[in-house]
Amino acid sequence: MTAPNSPRSCTFCPDESDQPSKATTETARSPEERAGERARAFWPEGGDGGGAAAGVPGFVHSDFAPVVVAVAERCLRRGYGSAGVPAGVRTGIVLVSASGDLASARHVRATVEAGGRIGPLFFFQSVPNSVAGHLAARWDLRGPVVCLSPTGDPYTDGVAEADLLRDDGDADEVLLILIEQAPDGPTEAVAVLLGGGARP
Amino acid sequence: MVEARVAQLTGVHAVSALGRGADAQLAGVLAGVPAFGPVGRFDTAARRVTVAATLSEVATLTDELAVAIDAACRAAGLDRAQRTGCALLLAVHGGPAPGPAPAVLAGQLAARCGLSGHTRVYTSACVSASTAVADAAARISRGDVERVVVAAGYLVEPDQFALFDAGRALAVDGAVRPFSAGRRGLLLGDGVAAVVLESSTVRRRGVEPVATVVGWGRAGDAFHPCQPEPGGNGLARAVGGALRRAGLPPESVGYVNANATGTAQSDAAEAAALRRALGAHATRVPVSSTKSVHGHALEASGLLELVVTALALRHGELPVNAGWLGPDDACPLNVVTNGPQKTEATHALTLNAAFGGANTALLVGVG
Repeated sequence: MTAPNSPRSCTFCPDESDQPSKATTETARSPEERAGERARAFWPEGGDGGGAAAGVPGFVHSDFAPVVVAVAERCLRRGYGSAGVPAGVRTGIVLVSASGDLASARHVRATVEAGGRIGPLFFFQSVPNSVAGHLAARWDLRGPVVCLSPTGDPYTDGVAEADLLRDDGDADEVLLILIEQAPDGPTEAVAVLLGGGARP
Repeated sequence: MVEARVAQLTGVHAVSALGRGADAQLAGVLAGVPAFGPVGRFDTAARRVTVAATLSEVATLTDELAVAIDAACRAAGLDRAQRTGCALLLAVHGGPAPGPAPAVLAGQLAARCGLSGHTRVYTSACVSASTAVADAAARISRGDVERVVVAAGYLVEPDQFALFDAGRALAVDGAVRPFSAGRRGLLLGDGVAAVVLESSTVRRRGVEPVATVVGWGRAGDAFHPCQPEPGGNGLARAVGGALRRAGLPPESVGYVNANATGTAQSDAAEAAALRRALGAHATRVPVSSTKSVHGHALEASGLLELVVTALALRHGELPVNAGWLGPDDACPLNVVTNGPQKTEATHALTLNAAFGGANTALLVGVG
């Protein structure tokens, strides 16, 4: 499933340069299909108009958590509509980010270096697990929470972890979130819902 | 009949304020003397709490991890040729930090230690290392790989210390008192550990495994960004997953190295989880939290605690829960309080929980 309004180029899309061309393999499935994607969303998308993601209660200073929540909820709504995740389905969360919450970490570093005191909310958002926990609470996602710093292609790393959690039996499906916060550019993210139906 | 693959710990190494090496960890947790003291590594004058469990002499995290990985591989009897193709799963703090970025660090460590398999970096806060172990055990048991090195490291540094201080998570009385009345919070501690996990079907060199990872479980609370679910449902499901994979009943668990950080709500939620997962056995099984002596090593805590749990079980003596002031009605458990306890148990759980409602359980067996 491909989301409407997808950006033309995507930081996180799987590298297809080594895939056979569709001209020679008409029946070949895309990397997204092979990964078992059921829904996909981006931040930003065309309709976002360059605006900021809505704030998230308890999270301050940085757009890391707001973008994670915006892209994840957009994806979950595409996957489930307003009904939400069915009871009994264990949805894991795999959050992949090399930068992490760069803006918050830099604020903390500068404050500590200057001998200052940090606001307590920075403690609660000091690890990517926190925003994953916010999503899990809002959407009743009861599977494992795993955060990775990618060592290769982020999408491939994330899908591999999601596959392991599903094959190993701790998750029925996985919400995979890829996010990078650039020092001087916009924060970009993609979320995909993997599995839950028949495995490809 | 085909033998089922299980993941065995064939080499372990760990460093903490208790000392350097596996033997120092075992001796330290059995002695039960907390290793907390004033932090001399950076200025804590602006902080409410000024103590942690730190090594007096410490190298960079990169060098400490490289030494730990090499030591674990040597303990497992792996020469350079046998390390070829071996995967490295690394648990460290994510995002910007002094030293190389996590992915670069993983690559550097793999190259230095001769591990040429794939690398993965876990940044899932306090379940990073335990999740890595669960993943490694899963991949070995299903036959994807024969051998995995899991390494994890956290050295107490000013930014996380300031954050925990700001969040009023640190114990102002300078002691970690898991499950105890009057507990005031956690204290941070250095922790660097590495383990070699290998398939039981790989017969080689006559290496005697330290222990076997017979079960594991990972589950989420779906409750709050940073508070545990008071009923312990998520952690209980993780324990249930570990028992189910091992094919063992709750009564088979002879010891629990609890996550217990010495924090009021978290310890009570963990006690509830144990009651939920183990039933009546939860009030009988000996429980302690070795964080009471070596502190909370954050991303590395799960691996440091796995190492001490496996060593204690193999040694036949259970670590003491230091800092005990008296029982808390919210934690009706059989806490090991009066010194190390002799045991003939063959299986032990080591539990971890983190922000985001992330929970893991690892079940190890000996004998």
